[in-house]
Amino acid sequence: MKILVCIKQVVDPEKVEYNVQTKTIKRNAQHLMNNPADLSALEFALRIKDVNKDVHITTLSMGPVECESKIKELIEVGCDSCVLLSDKRLAGSDAYSTAYALAKAIENLGNYDLILCGESSLDGETSIVPPQIAEYLNIPHISFATNIKVFDLQHVEIERKFKNQLFKLKVELPALVSVKKDSVFLRLPKLSLMIKALSYTPQIISLDDLENFDFSKVGAEGSKTSVNRFVEQSFEDVKCEIYEDIEDAQIECIANLVMRFL
Amino acid sequence: MEYFLSEEQKIIKSLAKRISDEYVSKVAIKYDKEGIFPRDILDLLAYTELTGVYIPKEYGGFGGGVMEMCLVVEELSRNCAGVAVSYAATALGAYPIILYGKEEQKKKYLPKIAKGELIAAFALTEADAGSDVSSIKTTAEKKGDYYILNGSKHWITNGGEADVYVVFAVTDKSKGPRGISAFIVEKGYEGFYCGKKEDKMGIRSSSTTELIFEDCKVPKENLLGREGTGFIIAMKTFDRTRPGVAAMAVGIAQGAYEHAIRYAKERVQFGQPLSSFQAIQHMLADMYINIEAARSLLYSTCRMIDSGAKDFSKESSACKVFASDVAMKVTTDAVQIMGGNGYVKDYPVEKMMRDAKVTQIFEGANQIQRNIIASEIIKEY
Repeated sequence: MKILVCIKQVVDPEKVEYNVQTKTIKRNAQHLMNNPADLSALEFALRIKDVNKDVHITTLSMGPVECESKIKELIEVGCDSCVLLSDKRLAGSDAYSTAYALAKAIENLGNYDLILCGESSLDGETSIVPPQIAEYLNIPHISFATNIKVFDLQHVEIERKFKNQLFKLKVELPALVSVKKDSVFLRLPKLSLMIKALSYTPQIISLDDLENFDFSKVGAEGSKTSVNRFVEQSFEDVKCEIYEDIEDAQIECIANLVMRFL
Repeated sequence: MEYFLSEEQKIIKSLAKRISDEYVSKVAIKYDKEGIFPRDILDLLAYTELTGVYIPKEYGGFGGGVMEMCLVVEELSRNCAGVAVSYAATALGAYPIILYGKEEQKKKYLPKIAKGELIAAFALTEADAGSDVSSIKTTAEKKGDYYILNGSKHWITNGGEADVYVVFAVTDKSKGPRGISAFIVEKGYEGFYCGKKEDKMGIRSSSTTELIFEDCKVPKENLLGREGTGFIIAMKTFDRTRPGVAAMAVGIAQGAYEHAIRYAKERVQFGQPLSSFQAIQHMLADMYINIEAARSLLYSTCRMIDSGAKDFSKESSACKVFASDVAMKVTTDAVQIMGGNGYVKDYPVEKMMRDAKVTQIFEGANQIQRNIIASEIIKEY
């Protein structure tokens, strides 16, 4: 069984810096991290591999070559291979263009039984890349999964929580499943795999490696959306307020918080 | 400070640091207060393969040495020395098998210890035989295919939790230290019981118990080395594991030092942070100097041992003595810098000061270590 997990390298929100002129995020290599929701997706892939030894896990990322150091961390937990789609012509791509590029890369890399993604990326939070990839690949898509199990080699079972309701779904493979963030946390690395990762180099591919690629669909030019305005939001310092009467204090405190963010 | 660790050693240290910061730090105070054995943390160390760093590759380990073991102990100790000693005590129990085990014994026990499936312990100390090892009274009498062990052991780290114990007993009283032998005793052997659990000042999450042997039947193939080599086995093991105590001490000191610095920068008195007062700055500087000196001596000793040197008792004792005295001084000063907050259990430095004390006591009190060092240097000159 072949599982492909899409993993984005995002800028750590605590260290994020913006280029106000270009209205983009500065992608400093030292401040990159693997997108947490994608790591939840990877953990599900690894759990499937734990009980099905013939599972092969490949990760696919898109970004500058600086992402390579973070991609190595995926080998440390048990991924079999990692691919990085890196091309300057992709700079400025929006969610639509990103989904197109990823879908074309998946098509070119081979047939995958199961494609897993995080529900959204920390920097974009659009949640639309996974369903768009599925649309391009013309395969079923299930979003916001909270658990994934292999039913048989042709099907997977998905659990999905929505408004306090638990849905159990079965989908025929190949399919794409996007995983709700924090549904599971990625396991710790193993020492032997960390040593393996020392000498591992991800496969780096460019747009020229992809067959039937429409270059007009990617980059800032090919994107359907663009950043119109860039506003820096400042927050006033959070103050600690002490209340004597606990019940009244809780009500007042919550009311104040609600008013502050309305 | 750059210690020029190999890439593999850096990975081991960073992985141990991650477990220490993300997991050990969250349970340290609770486990200390309630005396909970950190089996869950040992399971994590097993999963990440850190349990096998010092075990030879042919027996399923990483193939490292004392340095690799010490790097793990140091990082765990930054947050909880009780967790660290639970890990290190298995190394203390495994080293006699690595050094003196027969091939069948190595194959039987070491791969499972490397995988974390077995916890080990080292049982030498008795009520009337601590630093005076040659005074042990537990006996082992050979009867047919078994040795029959009788007696008791005290203050055994991992007691009751371990699956495999290396136990020292007298096989020939007339020969003094040369009449002591070492045996591998498994949990569940007939006549082997776990006694009283100690209520300790520090390292409270680790288990320290009495062990009782009442006509305990140990198969003769579980004799380690030859009859009468027990004293040498114990001493050669200690030479390799005393740096582990030094690593524990360096880790405790490092943890206390980091808490003290953060506190000194945040705590404002007389309108300025504590860190702006020269009296505090000098204490912090002395902490730094002492910790780096202890770590340098520790790492140098580890490198010497792992290089295959034959005699390193003096160096091994020196790093244990120096680092443990540093840990006591640094943790006491950290409590002093943090004042009332250092003295209460809300902050971890109170625990660290309690934990530091035992590093001056166990695996040979510092006084006995100074005897070893003195005897060696007098021989040399």
